[in-house]
Amino acid sequence: MNTTTAAAAAKMTSTTAVAISLVLSSCVVANAFRQKKQFYPSVVYICKSNPSMAIMYMQALVAVYVIGKLTGKLFFGSLRPAESERLIEKAWYAVTETCLAFTIFKDDLSPKFVALFTLLLFLKCFHWLAEDRVDYMERTPVISYIFHFRIWLLLVILTLGDIYFVHDAYTTTMAKGPSVQLVFGFEYALLITLAANAAFKYVLHAVDVHSDTFWESKAVLLLYLEFFIGLCKAVMYVVFLIIMVRTYTIPLFAFRPMYHTLRNFKKVFQDLVLSRRAIHNMNTLYPDATLQDLQAIENVCIICREDMTAAAAKKLPCNHIFHTSCLRSWFQRHQTCPTCRLDILRPTPPTTQNSNVPASITPTPGRTAQETPSTEAVASSSATDNNRGPSTSNHTHVPSSQAGGGSGSSYYNQAPLHHQFRPYTFQQRTTSVDEINGNNIDSSNSGIPESNNMNESWIAFMNAAGIGGGIGPSPFFNDMPQTSSNLPFTNTPQIPLNLPFVGGIAIQPPNIPPNLDTLSDEELRLMEQNTRQGCLARIKYITDIKCMLDAAVVMMNQYSSACLMAGLDSTDSTFNSETKTSDTTENDEQLETRPPSNISSETDSSTGSGVTSSSSGSEDQLIQEETEQQRIIRLKRLEKFGSNSM
Amino acid sequence: MAGSALRRLMAEYKQLTLNPPEGIIAGPTTEENYFEWEALITGPEGTCFEGGVFPAKLIFPSDYPLSPPKMSFTCDMFHPNIYSDGRVCISILHAPGDDPMGYESSNERWSPVQSVEKILLSVISMLAEPNDESGANVDAAKMWREDREGFNKVAESLVRKTLGIPTSK
Repeated sequence: MNTTTAAAAAKMTSTTAVAISLVLSSCVVANAFRQKKQFYPSVVYICKSNPSMAIMYMQALVAVYVIGKLTGKLFFGSLRPAESERLIEKAWYAVTETCLAFTIFKDDLSPKFVALFTLLLFLKCFHWLAEDRVDYMERTPVISYIFHFRIWLLLVILTLGDIYFVHDAYTTTMAKGPSVQLVFGFEYALLITLAANAAFKYVLHAVDVHSDTFWESKAVLLLYLEFFIGLCKAVMYVVFLIIMVRTYTIPLFAFRPMYHTLRNFKKVFQDLVLSRRAIHNMNTLYPDATLQDLQAIENVCIICREDMTAAAAKKLPCNHIFHTSCLRSWFQRHQTCPTCRLDILRPTPPTTQNSNVPASITPTPGRTAQETPSTEAVASSSATDNNRGPSTSNHTHVPSSQAGGGSGSSYYNQAPLHHQFRPYTFQQRTTSVDEINGNNIDSSNSGIPESNNMNESWIAFMNAAGIGGGIGPSPFFNDMPQTSSNLPFTNTPQIPLNLPFVGGIAIQPPNIPPNLDTLSDEELRLMEQNTRQGCLARIKYITDIKCMLDAAVVMMNQYSSACLMAGLDSTDSTFNSETKTSDTTENDEQLETRPPSNISSETDSSTGSGVTSSSSGSEDQLIQEETEQQRIIRLKRLEKFGSNSM
Repeated sequence: MAGSALRRLMAEYKQLTLNPPEGIIAGPTTEENYFEWEALITGPEGTCFEGGVFPAKLIFPSDYPLSPPKMSFTCDMFHPNIYSDGRVCISILHAPGDDPMGYESSNERWSPVQSVEKILLSVISMLAEPNDESGANVDAAKMWREDREGFNKVAESLVRKTLGIPTSK
């Protein structure tokens, strides 16, 4: 009701304005005729007298306004409030910019140019309205034939008019040198793009309206259209700027629209690139939703509120399910999960992420190696991932029974290799490895593959660092099982990477830096670039290296504590009593806390497989000695490695 | 086939008509244009806006639900998070990326998961608990913080105005 009264009031004022101007101009004309009695003298009289001319100009403006109203009525019917609101807003900007333009061309200022600018503004208004109307097609369920007819007619007339004026401006400029016609030519050229944009959109909408099924690629086409129109506009503005600066001066009046155009173009360009990546990710990485998944969420896509079928729905890494087409159009704006805002382009792992990335979707070259010897282990670990809940103890058990050999990326399953790490870090290990696996798939897109060679070298490193075999329990780990089992699993990824023991919290084991040798030239070049991607990749390598160094420090600590223990045989009895108490708490702990001589039998009994740990105390001793030597060598290498890489 | 935005709006309209949440009435102004809605919001109980019925309008973009709608009250409002021209300033109505006030975290922004119902419920809770740091209406924010009594009085007079009861004074 507010708006209607306002509209009525506006109508009243405009009608009175028209009436007043009509009365005034007829007064002027009547006065002239009364004084001069004849046609020509009265015309001359009106032209000579400034007040009369002012009134006549006013009358002309009012006439333009009335004609505009009438043509608007013809082409658009009555305008919706939103449309007229936007029209008025845009018109104000255009008027102020025109006034700014006048300051540059003040020498050319004449009634003719004012008239031309008015005409330009007039036509601009119709372009905007046409655009709004075409957009409106998407909004209304009923589109009449007369609507199509009107839009067609309007677009054709507008385009022809634009082309005529551009041509006119071109010929005048060529014939008489640069003048204000430059601006006209440029403005009309811009209007052509506007009209073309509207026309293409109209075609798309019309096709969409008449098709019976949902037209999936429409959104993509619209984005491309926006991109090309934006490109045209941006190029035009730049060219215009250059020409204006060379012939006249800086065209201040064009700066605001130019800024907007360039910004929009940049945004569209970014959207285009990012959405292409996100959509590619979606198509290649994320699985189609299964029927069970769909039933679990009541089968409704929360973007469009319509039912989903298994074929047309995708499951994101965060377990949220949407229509493929809905996701596609959302990814054009933002590359996040609509529900939990997980970044699709760089999935920072939430706890549930890995379970959704099936190993079989995109086999990458790097993965084939690991799949041969240790498929079982990988499968089992991912199986446990799938049903992992808040209870973490599952993880400590399952892999140790699976830990076969020392090959492939199943290094994390080799429980005996790092008993000391196990209760806490082992779970992290599994997650981080799964992350790597997940990343593996990801990075096949971003062009930076991971390799498993380093995984093996990591095992070697672990071996050499003296965690193989049964080294005495380190005091650090005695209280670890409790802490770890109290910690909810969701917390684990947030442990800072480079914190060596803080209150019984182990550092997160490092991501294995991939072997750089396997990178292709192209990928290396990609990494060298100063783009965000390249930078991130480099940072990732550096963090990995740092992690490894930190891990080395931890192992160093462990080793020294182990040495301490070994040297403190006399206090063994007290130590044993300590371990006895913790034995009762959890089965896992036994593995860590038993003195070296017992560990192999413990492993046998608890896991059922002897695996890599030694089978007798003497061998144990041997390994310990070996590893001591190896470790020193390794540490030296590490130092070198560190100094090289830092 | 009609656009996805239109179908979604129709679905939401249906949902809101079938199961209207308490204190909210909303629907398109005319059935010819589903992209302009009117809504009536009752002031939350136990607050200074209690008892009021506030009309508002929602304007949906053609790419709804990818972009958020715009909402503004069509009655006089005095509230820290409502501009003096009636526009509502809450984070749920802002697309991720643009942050007019520079304080909103992205996880309370617009996403296609949101709906008219959620917007209106957020507005009700906004009426109950203004965020005086946002400062869409600085005067109101200041008054809310420093002169709660005065704020309550202004709110009460607004409530009376929406109900058509002459103010007590």
